[in-house]
Order: sequence, then C-alpha cells, then structure tokens
Amino acid sequence: MGGRLEGKSGKKSENVYKPSKASQFFIVWRKLRRSKLAVFGTGIVLFMSLVALLAPIIIPFSPEFGGTPLLPPSTAHIFGTDALGRDMFSLVIYGARISLYVGVGAVSIELLIGITVGMIAGYSGGKIDELLMRIADVIFSLPTLMLLIVAVSMFAVRGIQTIMLIMGILGWPWIARMVRSEFLSLRETTFVEAARSIGASKWRIILRHILPNALSTIIVLVTVEIPWYIFYEATLSFLGFGDPSSPSWGILMQRGYLHFSSQGWWMITFPGLAIFFTSLGFNLFGDGLRDALDVTTRGR
Amino acid sequence: MTLRTYVIRRLIVLIPTFFLISIIIFVLIHLAPGDPLSAMFGPRVIPPEVREQITKKMGLDKPLPVQYLVWLSQILRGDLGYSYLSKRPVIEMIAVRIPSTLELMLLAEIAAVTTAIVLGVIAAVKEYSLVDAACSLGALIGYSTPNFWMALLLILVFAFWLGWFPAVGMHADIKFDTPFEALFDHLHHLVLPAFVLAFGWTAYLFRLVRSSMLEVLRQDYITTARAKGVKERVVIYKHALRNALLPVVTYEGYSIGFMLGGAVVIEEVFNWLGLGNFMVQIARTRDYPALMGLSTIIALMVLIANLCADIAYAIVDPRIRYE
Repeated sequence: MGGRLEGKSGKKSENVYKPSKASQFFIVWRKLRRSKLAVFGTGIVLFMSLVALLAPIIIPFSPEFGGTPLLPPSTAHIFGTDALGRDMFSLVIYGARISLYVGVGAVSIELLIGITVGMIAGYSGGKIDELLMRIADVIFSLPTLMLLIVAVSMFAVRGIQTIMLIMGILGWPWIARMVRSEFLSLRETTFVEAARSIGASKWRIILRHILPNALSTIIVLVTVEIPWYIFYEATLSFLGFGDPSSPSWGILMQRGYLHFSSQGWWMITFPGLAIFFTSLGFNLFGDGLRDALDVTTRGR
Repeated sequence: MTLRTYVIRRLIVLIPTFFLISIIIFVLIHLAPGDPLSAMFGPRVIPPEVREQITKKMGLDKPLPVQYLVWLSQILRGDLGYSYLSKRPVIEMIAVRIPSTLELMLLAEIAAVTTAIVLGVIAAVKEYSLVDAACSLGALIGYSTPNFWMALLLILVFAFWLGWFPAVGMHADIKFDTPFEALFDHLHHLVLPAFVLAFGWTAYLFRLVRSSMLEVLRQDYITTARAKGVKERVVIYKHALRNALLPVVTYEGYSIGFMLGGAVVIEEVFNWLGLGNFMVQIARTRDYPALMGLSTIIALMVLIANLCADIAYAIVDPRIRYE
C-alpha cells in the first residue's frame, strides 16, 4: 500500500507537506524510474498503446485489400505478405488494436466481478465468504484454457465480445481473492475503526476507506493480467475458437499456420513477436509497479 | 490431529468440491444460448422431426436441473456417455489417450523441476551476478512467450531448417528392427513438445525457488551456521535448500493444471495424440458429451494432484498443524 495516509488536513497550516494527486503519480514514477527494466517495460506498454490508437494513420497498406500473395519480408513489405497478399506489417499493427482491446476489456470485466465478489466475501465473512471462496478455489485450480475452450466452443457464433466476456467471467477469482484478503486485513485497521466510530456507513467505509487502500495491489495485478488475456485470446484464436472477423494477433497466426512451412515463416513469426513484446512490456511494467508501490503479490 | 485424520478430512472435503466442479462444467457448457443441438448443427437446416427425435433421445427436452442430475448420476456411476461422432464410450476414448499426456507431462515436469531448482539456487547464492541476471532474463522470456508460438518456432528451426527433430507426430511411420530403435524414435519425437511444455513452468518455478532461497539465506539460523564455521556448501544444501524448497511443494500442486492447459495447445501443434489434442478435436466438433466427460476427468486429475501436494506438504514440513 502506498502512502495514502496523507489526508486533507494540509490546508490548516502552511508548513504541512501538501500532497496532491499529481505528486502521488510522480512518487510512483520516481520509484519506477530506478529500475531500467521497469522503464523499458513502461516504454513498450506506451508504445504498443500508441500503435493501437494510431493504427489507421501508421499503416502503409490497407489491411483489407492485398497485392501479391506470400511475399517474404522485403523493403516494400517489411513483414512480408499473407496468403491473400495483404501487408503483414499493416495487419500486425491493426492486430494491436484488437489484442489490446481484448486484454483491457477482459480485465475490466474481471475487475468488476472480482472487486464486487471480493468486497462481499471480505466484508460479510461467514458462510457467504466460505461459499464464494470455494467457488474461486475450484475455478482457480482448473486449467483456465480448458474452461475457456469448453465455454467458447459451445457458441455457434463467436464474437470478440463474447470471448472477452467469457474470459472476464472465468477470471474473477484472481481479483476476488486478493480484494478479499485486503479487506480482511484493512477491516481491522485503526483508521477503519475510527471511521466506524464516527458513524460512517458500511458502504462509505468500503468505498472511501478500504477500496482506495487496496488500489495499489489491484493495479499491479491488473497490469500482469492483461498479457494473460492477450495470450488466452491468441491461443483460442490459434486453435480455431476465435472471431475470424476481428483479426487479432492470434487470428493472424492461425491464418499463417495454414501456410506454415519453411516458406511461410513470416506469417507466424511477426504476430508472435508482437505478443511477446507486449507481454514482456506488461510484465516488466508490472514488476516495476510492484516494487514502486511496495505490493506483495504473486503472478499467475 | 494425526496425519491420518488429516488425510481423511481432506478426502471428505473433496466430495463437495467435486459437486461444485460438476456444476461449473455443466453451467459452462450451457452458457451459450440455445441448446447443444443448435451449437452442434450450427446454421445447417435439419428437419424438425429429426431434431425433435434427437432432442428426446438425449433428454434435452427436460429442464436444465433435471438434465444436470441425470448427467451427475451417470458420471458417479463411471458412465461418461457416448461420443456424438464416433458413437464410442467417452471413457474409453479418454483412457487410450491418458498415457501419452502423462508421459509428456512427466518428462516436462522432471525437466522443469530440476532446471528450476539448480538455476534458482545458483541465482540466489550469486545474487546480482551475471548468472543471476541471465537466468532471470530467461525466466522473463519464459513467461512472456506464448507456448504455441514457441512450439511453431522450434518446429521451424529444428525440424524444417536444421532437420534435427521430427516436426510432428509420436513416432515415424516405418517398421523398426528392434524395440530399442522404436523407443529411441519415440523419445526423439518427445523432445520438442516436452521442452516447450517445460519452459513456461521452469520460468515460474525458477522465480519461486530463487526468492524462497533468498529469504531463507537471510535468516538467523543460516548466519549461526556460518558463524559456527560450517562449510558454505553444507550451509546451502543442507541448511537452506531444504527449507527453501517447502513452498515449491505447494506450488507443484498447481503444476498439473498448468501443464494440462499447456498440453492442450502443445499437443495440438505437435499432433501428439493425448488428452489436449482430444479436447481441441471434440471442442471443434462440439461433441458435448465427450467435452463434459473429458472436463470432469481433467478436473478430477487436478483435484487429486492438489490433494497429494497438500499431504506432501504436511509430511515434509514438521511445523505445519493439520487444520
């Protein structure tokens, strides 16, 4: 937990150190900057996000219409062309949009469910807590990819949103468990007791006092979860359970796999590299944040 | 409480857990809108009377809770039903594929555990050295690389370009003179998939061993041992390593889940005819009795592995109180 203890008492005296939202950000950044790897990771994450946002401007060729098929990498097409003659470089850049969208989207759904369940379990305790945590444990121990395949394969039409939703629904135990344990420990702290003693309502305590203090742990977990969802979507797509109308990196690799031989190596290599670097970036960034925010969690 | 009562209690807890798992699997299968038939046939047009007939025959006309209970009573009797496509008993189809998966997982597990422990100890003892940095970098690459991508790259380099290993399959399609040759050929096919499966897990285990070892090495009793003049080798291997490996035992319980997840993709890429490859195949054809049966079996395997890890932990750690 970061130094969130500073309240709004600063206005009373001129001599008191006045923290603001910006300073909190800079404190973290200053700590993060100490590790070169963390800076590198932050760089990759920012770079990939920019690529995803600016994709329509950056791409040199249309990702929809092609020229000569199966061209190896050259100066004109640095990543080569695919079976329909589309420029792989443009496709990979466009894929960043979809893959990052899926990653961030699934994590958002997971957060929504996970925080709610974790709060309920951690604050209420007793039988409800036990039941919720047992369900979490079970989902936890089963191979996530297997559950995803089982759920996704039963949909006759698979949209990218469906896949995202299923991933989010199956991912909540990770967040819920952590939020719950934060709640259990924070519930007993003096500042929560103080809030309770001055008559703060249950929801005010949860939302204003406990949740903000659990925030740094949540942020770290989310950072390392995003590449997992990018992985899962890529794997599902590669195995043929994806949404072919949304050409994510996984879909590109699945298409490349059909022409996979020593002649068509570029079609799987470059989308894979994109996943690798994105994942590396998020992992390094997450590790850096973990140290900077002084959080102890263990990744998946 | 003795170890025996602890084991018995854990076995009893297994029962509600299993029910929970069966409910989760059933719900997942029925998460998609429409009945499994529409998923099976997709947009294809089938005559309504045929549809009705199949629906009745498979009991899909009954309400979901009833369907669940029917299915549950079947699996409790060891009957996983019949596959839609091959019409063969699901349990038989699963049984023939278990050995290939276990073999792959076992080899990967042994490789991962030994590598992770050896490198983890070296990295911890020589913290901040070049070796430590190199191993940590390797681990970082390990969990940033999608396993199927790595599998494809290895096939590309070692099978297509260099020709050192066969690209796919479990054995060559030729007649072998001696069983020894056949075994060698089989192991030759096993190298690449086992390597990919082991790589990701090694990365996780390495991190765990390293941090756990670092923590133990900072404790007072290690300083005491050193102060007594105990040789550094003995301090590390006898005093520190034993305690540092305790968390590894718990973590190993998760390994079967991790490995089975990895096996799904890796077996598919290498055309290794095991459970993972089977899962992809039946999911593609939406063979849902088979899918439900296989998920249940895999869940059971994971449950038992976790139980074994917990019991092993209770045995190796004398400090643990059976709660």
